[in-house]
Formats: sequence, C-alpha cells, structure tokens
Amino acid sequence: MLEPVMFTGGVYKHDLVMELVEDLGGYVLQKNVTQSEVILLLLVPKEDMEALKALISELRGELVRAPLAGTEVAVVTPTLAIHHLPHTACDIAEYLRRNGAKSNMIGLARGVGRETAQINEYESMLIDEHDAVVFIFGNFVECIRKKEALYRNINIPVVVTGGPEISKEELPYAFEYVPSVGRITHRAKKATELGTLDNIIESVGRALDRTRTEISKDPLTTSPPRVMDAVREQVPEVEYSFSPLPIALNLNGVRVKLPYEKYKDAVRAVKFDEGVTLGEIATIRPSKMKDYILVRILPMSETGFVF
Amino acid sequence: MDPMEVFKVEIAGEEFGAKKYREIIMDILQDLGLIRSIGRLYVFVDVKKPVFAVYGLLRTGIPPLLVRDVADVAQAQGGFQIKVNDEEHMADLLKVLWEKYGRERVEQPSRDVVVVATDASPSDLPVADLEAEFRQDLTDALLRVAPEGFRNRRNEMTDKSFFFIAAEDTLKPELIFEVKEKIRSMENA
Repeated sequence: MLEPVMFTGGVYKHDLVMELVEDLGGYVLQKNVTQSEVILLLLVPKEDMEALKALISELRGELVRAPLAGTEVAVVTPTLAIHHLPHTACDIAEYLRRNGAKSNMIGLARGVGRETAQINEYESMLIDEHDAVVFIFGNFVECIRKKEALYRNINIPVVVTGGPEISKEELPYAFEYVPSVGRITHRAKKATELGTLDNIIESVGRALDRTRTEISKDPLTTSPPRVMDAVREQVPEVEYSFSPLPIALNLNGVRVKLPYEKYKDAVRAVKFDEGVTLGEIATIRPSKMKDYILVRILPMSETGFVF
Repeated sequence: MDPMEVFKVEIAGEEFGAKKYREIIMDILQDLGLIRSIGRLYVFVDVKKPVFAVYGLLRTGIPPLLVRDVADVAQAQGGFQIKVNDEEHMADLLKVLWEKYGRERVEQPSRDVVVVATDASPSDLPVADLEAEFRQDLTDALLRVAPEGFRNRRNEMTDKSFFFIAAEDTLKPELIFEVKEKIRSMENA
C-alpha cells in the first residue's frame, strides 16, 4: 500500500530523499524547487515510512500526509472575470495544491447569469478528464439550484460550493455541497473561512475515495505511478516539456504533456518488465487539454491480468 | 460600523445573500475609496426576475483641485514658479499648463518645479476634476458589485444621486418603474 506524502525541506541533500524513495519502491510524483526550498510529492510504501521519516528528521525537513496526491482536481468558476476571481477560486485551488492535488482552474465561456448560464461539450469533456471537480457558485439559493444544469452531465464527482445553507437533497446531481463560500471579495484569512476550505478538501477527499473504491472493484491493469515511471524512462523527451508537471497523474491513468501526433507511437510502445506494452493495457487518445496525450489504463476485466 | 447613514439591502427570500451582498458592497466601495462620498445606499434585488438595482444619495460638493491646492506658486523672473508638493498630480498639472500656455512657455527645470512664462498667476487653474473621477470610480464599483450575468445595464446619475439597474433580460420601462417604486418604499420605510 503506497502512502501519499509531501516533503518540504532544503535543496541541500534532497536527492537522498528521492533516492531512498526509489529504493523503497515508491515514486516521486512531483518536484518543485523554489529558490532554496524543495517540495516533493511522494508515494511511499506504508511499511517503510519510518525509514523515510528518520532520514527526513536528519535533514531537518518536514513530512506531511498529502491525501490528494496523485490526483487532478478541476476548479470551475462561471467565468474568469473579476466577479469570480481571484479570491475564492484561487484560495480553493491553492488549498487543493497544498494537499497534494494538481488543481486546474477552468473558467466557463458562458457560465454566467441565472437564465443564460450554459456549458458546452468541450468544457464538460475537459472537466471529465479530471478526478473530481469543485464548482464555485454565488450567494443566492435560487441561482445555485438553477445552475445544476452546468454539472448535470459531468461524469466525475462534483463538489458544489456556494454561500447559503442548502440541503443535499435539493442538489441531487452534486456529490456534496459545501456552504459558506459564495462570492467573497477578500482573501480567506479568518479561522471560519479557513475551516470552510478544509471542508472543501475533506469533501474532495471523500469524492476521490469513492472513485478509488469503484476502481478497486475492477482494479486497473497497472498503477498510474508505474506508467508514469515507465514513460519518463522510455520517452525521455517528456523531461524537456515546459510544463511544471510533465506527466500529470489521475486515478485511472496519466496525461503526458507532449504533442499527440508526434509522440503517440512512442508512448504506445512503452514497454514494461512483464513484456507488455502500454498500448496493450491502456487507451491512448488526444487530451482535451492542449494537444497532450491522454492515457487511460484498462481495468482487469478487459485485459485479464494485473501486474 | 457603517460610515454611511443608511444602508439597506433587500433581497426577497435570500437572507444569506442579502447579508453577503452587504459585505461585498462594503469591500468594493472600500477598495475604491468611495465609502465617504456616499450618504445613503439602497440595494434592491429580485432573484426571480432577475434584476439588480442600487440607488444612492451622494455627499457631493467635492471642489475641483486647483493649482494652489497641489503646489506653491511664487512670482519669479519672467513668470511664475510652481513647486509641486504632491508629485501624484504632476502629470495632470503639466497637461493643463501646456494646454493653457503652450509648450514653449512651460519649462520644467527640475523634477518638482515648473516655470511658466506668464503675467497672470496660474494658481486658480483647475488641475483635476475630482467629481468626474469620482463618478468614473463609482460606475466601476457598480459594475463590479452587480452579479456578472446581468449584462443589460442602465446608470442614471445626477448631482445628488445615482440609480443603477442591471438585469439579464431587456430593461423595460415598466420594470424600471417598478424597481424605482420599490426603492422609494424602502426609502420611506
């Protein structure tokens, strides 16, 4: 069982941490260097956690659990105008990031208005590529009810946030509803506001757990971090991608940030030690995000084996 | 504590929304530094229609900013010397002087000093029309406050008051009349 954790510490000797994680059979999901500090998102086998903790305390670093690591969460606002950004949307996205998720902000083209709000097919398909989504709505009960149309056709769990208290029964298409967010024109700084952000994280965590449980009923042929490692090794061009996270992890696959047409065959041909190629155990198709490559690992029921 | 004398928000059936909109309006007016110039404010929203309206009484009488307000004017050889105290107004001041005297008669020997070749003192020239700036800021604030989808807008401004209405559907005269009536009843309540 791999445990998602986040290491924060100095750049000096942080490679020892990365080496240890790889030796233990874990994965380094993301590495962010900010001047003299480094943040690593790691997946580490639970039983070896003590070894890592010992090394990190020696390096005077910090290790915290990052429950959302290895997932991608969309934060959707009705538009990208001043009415919705920056405060609420950025606070939520940043909080998700701090808990290990990769958060993407999406502003709808025509999401505004009570009567006129709409979402198009491209937008909902883009949102569907994530593991969970947070929809940020405003302060009026009537509008939040009405805007259900925006997420009715989304296939991933939808966490809806808004100002007023609304019972869950009134929003049947939402996974959960988190109140007391709404339209805010200042940064979240009061204890109650931070508590609300925690509620959103918890709700997203529950949504992801549900997806994990669903996946475990028909497990994936291999785990996404393993695919990530193999792609990184065998398609070295990915390291030259300008994205801060060249391979983004989802619960059921990865997104490789290379042009689809040029690299789809290279990704398809990635070979595992067991002798199978990635093309045999996963679907490889163009992502809705730019011209990236979307890899979706097939479940055991389709390939007949798990490794 | 509200610095305004009266600040009423009426949103039928949306108590939480009314409370929040109060905060939003306060935040935005404070951000733009307008709060002291508004005496009374009435906000009326009907989410079912949907329509959003604001009516406010202004604390007017902001005099235009004159040269002597922002600078020390002294007679000098061949004209007047203007020493600017607040550099923020330098650009406006130069623009006004250039317009009035022409570029060849305005000289700027140092960063905060301007010399104008003229016989009459320029100290009573207006540098900036604060009233117009205030109106611009106020319109900006109203656009920010109104919910975003409300694309049909109308803004009536007089010396003493302003009335702003925004809706998703076309603004019909009946609707405007009805909302004005509502606000009048809020005023008299």
